[in-house]
Amino acid sequence: MRGHRDLTRACVAAILCALVAALVPFDLIRLLAALPLTLFLPGYAVVACAFGSQELAPAQRALLSVATSLTILVLGALVLNIFPFGLTTASWAVLLPLVVIAACRGAALRRERPDRAARGNRGISLPRPATGSLVIGVVALAIAVAAVALAQKPLPADDAVGFTALWMLPTDSGEDAVAVGVVSNQHHPTSYRLVVSLGDSQSQTYRVKLDPGEERTYEVDVPPEPDGRTHVVASLYRKQRPDDPYRRVTSWLPRQETLP
Amino acid sequence: MVQARLESPPVIALLAAVGLFLCSLANALSRATLSPSPLIYWLGLLVIALPIFFRLSSPKPSSRERLGLVLLLGLALYCVKVVHDGIYFTFSDEYVHAFNVHQIERYDHLYHFNPAIATSPYYPGLEGATSALTMLTGTSIYVSGTILIGAARLVFMTALFFLFARLSGSARGAGIGVAVYTGTTNFLFWGAQFSYESLSLPLVVVVLMAFVEREEAPAKARGAWTVPIVLAILAITITHHLSSYALAVILVALAVLYRVMKVEKPNPWPFAALAVGAALAWLLIAARSTTGYLFPVLEEAVKAIWKTASGESAPRTLFHQASSASETVASTPLPARALALIAVAVLAAGAFFGLRQIWRGREDRQPMVVIFCLGAIAFFAALTLRFAPAAWETGNRAGGYFFIGLAFVCIYAAADLLRRGPRLIRRRLLLSGALGVVLVGGAISGWPWDIQLARPLQATADGAKIESEPLALAEFARDHLDGSRFAAPESDARVLLEPGGQVAYGGQGPDIEDIVDEEFLAEWQLPLLKDYHLPFVVADRRLISEDTLRGEFFAVRDQYGTDLRGSGVTHKFARIPAGRVWHSGRIVLFNLEDRP
Repeated sequence: MRGHRDLTRACVAAILCALVAALVPFDLIRLLAALPLTLFLPGYAVVACAFGSQELAPAQRALLSVATSLTILVLGALVLNIFPFGLTTASWAVLLPLVVIAACRGAALRRERPDRAARGNRGISLPRPATGSLVIGVVALAIAVAAVALAQKPLPADDAVGFTALWMLPTDSGEDAVAVGVVSNQHHPTSYRLVVSLGDSQSQTYRVKLDPGEERTYEVDVPPEPDGRTHVVASLYRKQRPDDPYRRVTSWLPRQETLP
Repeated sequence: MVQARLESPPVIALLAAVGLFLCSLANALSRATLSPSPLIYWLGLLVIALPIFFRLSSPKPSSRERLGLVLLLGLALYCVKVVHDGIYFTFSDEYVHAFNVHQIERYDHLYHFNPAIATSPYYPGLEGATSALTMLTGTSIYVSGTILIGAARLVFMTALFFLFARLSGSARGAGIGVAVYTGTTNFLFWGAQFSYESLSLPLVVVVLMAFVEREEAPAKARGAWTVPIVLAILAITITHHLSSYALAVILVALAVLYRVMKVEKPNPWPFAALAVGAALAWLLIAARSTTGYLFPVLEEAVKAIWKTASGESAPRTLFHQASSASETVASTPLPARALALIAVAVLAAGAFFGLRQIWRGREDRQPMVVIFCLGAIAFFAALTLRFAPAAWETGNRAGGYFFIGLAFVCIYAAADLLRRGPRLIRRRLLLSGALGVVLVGGAISGWPWDIQLARPLQATADGAKIESEPLALAEFARDHLDGSRFAAPESDARVLLEPGGQVAYGGQGPDIEDIVDEEFLAEWQLPLLKDYHLPFVVADRRLISEDTLRGEFFAVRDQYGTDLRGSGVTHKFARIPAGRVWHSGRIVLFNLEDRP
């Protein structure tokens, strides 16, 4: 690939991007590395290989690079699926640079011997923006980012109907204890009385105070019943209606493993 | 001077950003249950688009500037969908495809089962490509999918621009043609969702663009263009069934027209053969379930057309936003309906004048132009399918393909309107206004009026985050019941798929809908749950829970989501009796394996 600077750069970039995407633990850096590796470089290399020395307008080259990269991702998934290791971070990080290197090698063979003039023509010349335009562009970008950020931010929604959920599950496969959880998705702090009854005779009571979005979990031992399953019932009561269960969950432990 | 400033690309970009912010603000106010005026949103849409339309109608911009404007338009309108979402996919098909990505991540291989659309894992193009991004970036499926569809959207806009520019011989016309295309009913939301067609349709346009470029290229350069065409045909084949069939039909039609019109260029039959062969091979080898998925829909559509045409059944009411759960849904207001109909009238006028112009210059006609003209006419034929109850969706989906032809034909009508002469500014304003009407009218026709603005999936209370009932259930399942199997009303089933990560059945195949919606337990219901091994059953009293567009959000007082089914839908499972795992008031999760 000597003399074809763009191809050499594409190969080096593909290897570097793959290494960063596969090895660096920071998602943002991985994202910055993976974007060119997935959405540009494979297509750029394949298009360079296909077109060899033929002229292609820069905008069309850019379009075909991205479009062909998308097709390579689609077809690459099919190829990786054939192998036992399948689609993993490592397999993608190897496949994509391999495609880039192979296609760049093919492009170098197909291109005529580069001369200085031809090399000069391959670059994309972009107009230098005026300072005013640059400032307006930056402001526009900031507003667009603010728009997307606003969309990702949950907001107070007073008319949305809040609720509290009660759940109960065995803590482990032995099923000799249950975890009982109370989750508040209410708009205001709330107080409850949680009663967990074990069979006919035992029960435990908890006072539960929850802020919005808060979850409390209680672990309750379930003594084995000598003649069958233990019926566990967790009931949640509100202060203003202390006798009417507000939420109720039930279980018979140990559970059956068949459907009725 | 002022006009020149206002028409400068940086100012247009600034206005597009302001428009996007207005759309985001309207969505934010809606999520905050403050019932904002929808005018804020529509104004935002017009602030994005009108300056771009006006500039594209000018004779002054260079080809490069027009391409930049087209990309800005595509990106800004895509972001309108992104700011509708928030942090999760919320469109019904998005859950299905996100689940497929989830399955690929879990098993490292393709083709794992999807209970919502069983055929979708056999068209794994989108999900396979997204998995590359999720695995290499470490970001969520939502972020990776949004980036991937964004890239596809930019590819679509650029390819359409080059396609129209090559065929019409005018960059100005190409820019206007792409602007017309943004008025198709599926452009703003449906075509921007994380779904296989959002990737495959851009690739179809890439094939068409590369094909016409290949035809114009010198003989020795044609081989180079063959590479992206072949790669894209293969990628489309394994990405989306309908797109691959549509592309095959277009290429076969081209091959026939080349022969009939005695075109002195190589007949494109090899591409047609590849597209047909690949689509058939994939259907027979990998995706046999497609026939059982697609053909009943098409059969129902044909029956519905026949019944409606013969008067056997009443025509569908336009703009009737049916919620499948029968909760009353806010209907499209009269001015909006009128605007949508005016948009169709504008397009009809554009088609009429455009076709007339093309007919007059018939000596320049190429096979692709003929196909686009036929597509423009077929678009209006497809519109009539909207009157047939079971065929409107088929017509709506087909319209996205036909609209490419219509947008191309409208270029000629616009060229006629913008020919040299006095009062060009007024005519440019008229065209920009017409394009604005087409854009807004298409958006009104393409998405239910009551959900044009976002609904709250999450909210804050005292500074903490709270979630809707279905989302809270899905997150509970993800955290505590990893990989379990559920029967649920369809909207709950979708969020249980993603972000819940569970195997959740809903809908009518198998008939889970009746099991979870009826108040009494019929004899066949427990055996069916046993046959499919579905121990977890979601009993949801919310009437909206079968509605995959509306059911996953918070209920909002005096607005939506508050109508309930009878208490029997929960009591019937309690009477089995079965263990109650999770209870939020209106939703109860039962475990049928947990019983005395």
